[in-house]
Amino acid sequence: MSSTSRRYRRTACTGLALALPLAALAACGGGGGTDASAEGGSGKGTISVWAHQSQKSEDAAVQAAVKSFNSSQSDIKVELKLIPGNDYTKTITATSASELPDVMEFDGPTMANFVYNKKLAPIDDHVSAKTMANATDASKSQGEIGGKHYGLGMYDSGLGIYGNKKLLDAAGVKYPTSLSDGWTAEQFTDALKTLKAKDSDGKTLDIQENNGLATEWGAYGFAPVVWSAGGSLLKDGKAEGALDTPAAVSALKTVQSWKTYVDPNTDGNAFAKGRVALSWVGHWMYPTYSKALGDDLVVLPLPDFGNGPKTGQGSWAWGIGADTKNAKAAGAFMDYLLNDTNVTAMTTANGAPPATKTALAASPLYKQSGPLQLFADQLAKPCGDSDITKSCVAVTRPVTAGYPTITAKFSEALNSVYGGADPKSALSKAARAIDQDFSDNAGYEIP
Amino acid sequence: MTSAEPAHAAPHAREKAPPVTAEKPARPARPARPVRKNRDWLHGLLMSTPAVAGLVAFVGVPFGYAVVLSFYNVRLGSPLAPAFFGLEQYRRLFTDPDLSGPFLRALLNNLTFAVVVVPVQTALALGLAILLNRKLKAIGLFRSLFFMPVVFPMALVAVIWRLILARSDQGMLNSALHAVSFGNWGAFDWLGDSATAMASIIVLSVWQGVGFQMVILLAGLQQIPGELYEAAELDRASRWQQFRHVTLPGIRGTLVFVAMLTSVLSFRVFDQVYVLVKGGGLNEDAARTVMYQAVTTAFDQNNVGQASAITVVFFLIVVVLTLIQRRVVRPDNED
Repeated sequence: MSSTSRRYRRTACTGLALALPLAALAACGGGGGTDASAEGGSGKGTISVWAHQSQKSEDAAVQAAVKSFNSSQSDIKVELKLIPGNDYTKTITATSASELPDVMEFDGPTMANFVYNKKLAPIDDHVSAKTMANATDASKSQGEIGGKHYGLGMYDSGLGIYGNKKLLDAAGVKYPTSLSDGWTAEQFTDALKTLKAKDSDGKTLDIQENNGLATEWGAYGFAPVVWSAGGSLLKDGKAEGALDTPAAVSALKTVQSWKTYVDPNTDGNAFAKGRVALSWVGHWMYPTYSKALGDDLVVLPLPDFGNGPKTGQGSWAWGIGADTKNAKAAGAFMDYLLNDTNVTAMTTANGAPPATKTALAASPLYKQSGPLQLFADQLAKPCGDSDITKSCVAVTRPVTAGYPTITAKFSEALNSVYGGADPKSALSKAARAIDQDFSDNAGYEIP
Repeated sequence: MTSAEPAHAAPHAREKAPPVTAEKPARPARPARPVRKNRDWLHGLLMSTPAVAGLVAFVGVPFGYAVVLSFYNVRLGSPLAPAFFGLEQYRRLFTDPDLSGPFLRALLNNLTFAVVVVPVQTALALGLAILLNRKLKAIGLFRSLFFMPVVFPMALVAVIWRLILARSDQGMLNSALHAVSFGNWGAFDWLGDSATAMASIIVLSVWQGVGFQMVILLAGLQQIPGELYEAAELDRASRWQQFRHVTLPGIRGTLVFVAMLTSVLSFRVFDQVYVLVKGGGLNEDAARTVMYQAVTTAFDQNNVGQASAITVVFFLIVVVLTLIQRRVVRPDNED
């Protein structure tokens, strides 16, 4: 008897030991969430700035901007902290609003989440009217929620198809020369077929499979297929009936049929080494590709699935922390960061399309008749994230705090379709999961 | 040996118990025993405190917390207060076809993985250990060669195997088969095909993990006295008979330990799936494991409540399976 009663006692003790810290944790869990709003402050003193650490040339551009800002005037001193890119978004997610810096960088589609969590303040009152007016429409639409702007980028992004002129000509494939005469999906498939006949291993297309499709690359790179088919990732806060329309399903079926032409690109060099003639990727491969191919490189729009060609849009942007006590100084720093000198230095460093009108017009890569004019043309026709018409081209990823679920579910569906699953059931499943998540979270309405 | 004393004491107490309750004179015998028993209890508690504290802090509390979280709709970084959800998360995991499909598939994948990996890896480790338990020149070199994959982190191993298993003729495996079959082998999609995705994960995991089990078994093999083999040889036992009647009984305890360790480890398959999915081309549905699903639900989709429910269910399943296994394969020297 005594041994069993001892066991009971021990169980009770263990239970208590478990329950006590739990209660403590639960008590800590609640609360928080103070109503944060940026204070203008004096416009003098020290402000802290967070940016994501990226390739060396980009880091150098940010550091140079901070240094020249500090020496350009004596009222404000900027302290810059670079945080590794892979952990950057998680760091902001895990940091409470009161500990966030005065000015911070963030990746475009994560912005809504930070606004939802009250970690970002509207910048309209703090940056100058000149800076706001000089931002491209695409950059402004990425940064806008409910009529207020929360972020502006130094650069933007765009998707296209890079072509190897030599291989295309050798196979006798006719390719588009501008946005207006882009391929339809059928013409693109035909081009792949024609190229295949001339290719030793039959693989003629690269879609950056080495980045994975069940990732943000999958969502960013292939949402344009859905948009171009007249569908949408989210319409009026619902995915069902937008993501799984018959046109979107048949468009993904077409993507699925391309798999036989796609080089798995394990070494990341499929296009640069001339193994494939076409590469479905963004502006960021231009420096590598132009170095490898020189004058043989052509840039084409993504194929049109019926609702006009579309591209993704949006990149890293800058905003003001919700709890800052010195928004005036923060705004002054953002004005400085977004001037022509700094934007040009940054976009020279990473090859991205500048997100300000003056820098874009002056950019040797993106100006009229520049080698990447196509990307600039696409970004000149922004759709925003919901008003996707036949004539606009650059679509912003859904600006909602529910974006993490949207991208996870859509890219998962894309990956399984690419692996052979039925597009209809995969897309419907993703749509149902997204809607479930939105209803669990009261539609992610920003409080 | 202190633990044996209360065990002896207990039957005595039980024998004497009826007279104690019935008659008062027997009382004087009592005080001595309870005091000693209490001290043992205290010492035992004191000595186990560090271990128990660690267990409670790092297993008990998180698990208890996970149970609580699984009853709520909790999101990472959401301004909404966690809402009580009751059993909704569990209902979805088991009855909502969209959610239960992948979850049950992940469970099945985990089970398949364990069922295949445990016997295969243990047998392979035993084979290697026997092979490397010889007095050869430079045997140390061979042993370290076979142990090497264990030293590499799984993430690195997965990246390397991505190159081996890549589809089309760029994959090392495909090009090797192509050469061996005189060009008759087509480019096969090892990771993308649902039939071979899990098999590929299994092969690479066994390759990475087998060295560890091998080292443990090697140590076990070296504990077997050489005289036993000499005696067996004098009895004209064949190599197989020696293995069957000397080696196996000699390392039975080690073998059971290794099998148990392998099965526990095999339930936490995560790294290789995560790396290969991000690397592209892996058939996610065919290779998804429960850990993978829990992590992506919590940290990619910010759905902490759902992920907690997944881990709670998984924890219970693993505990039950481990208990069953302990009951079935019990080393001789235990108890």
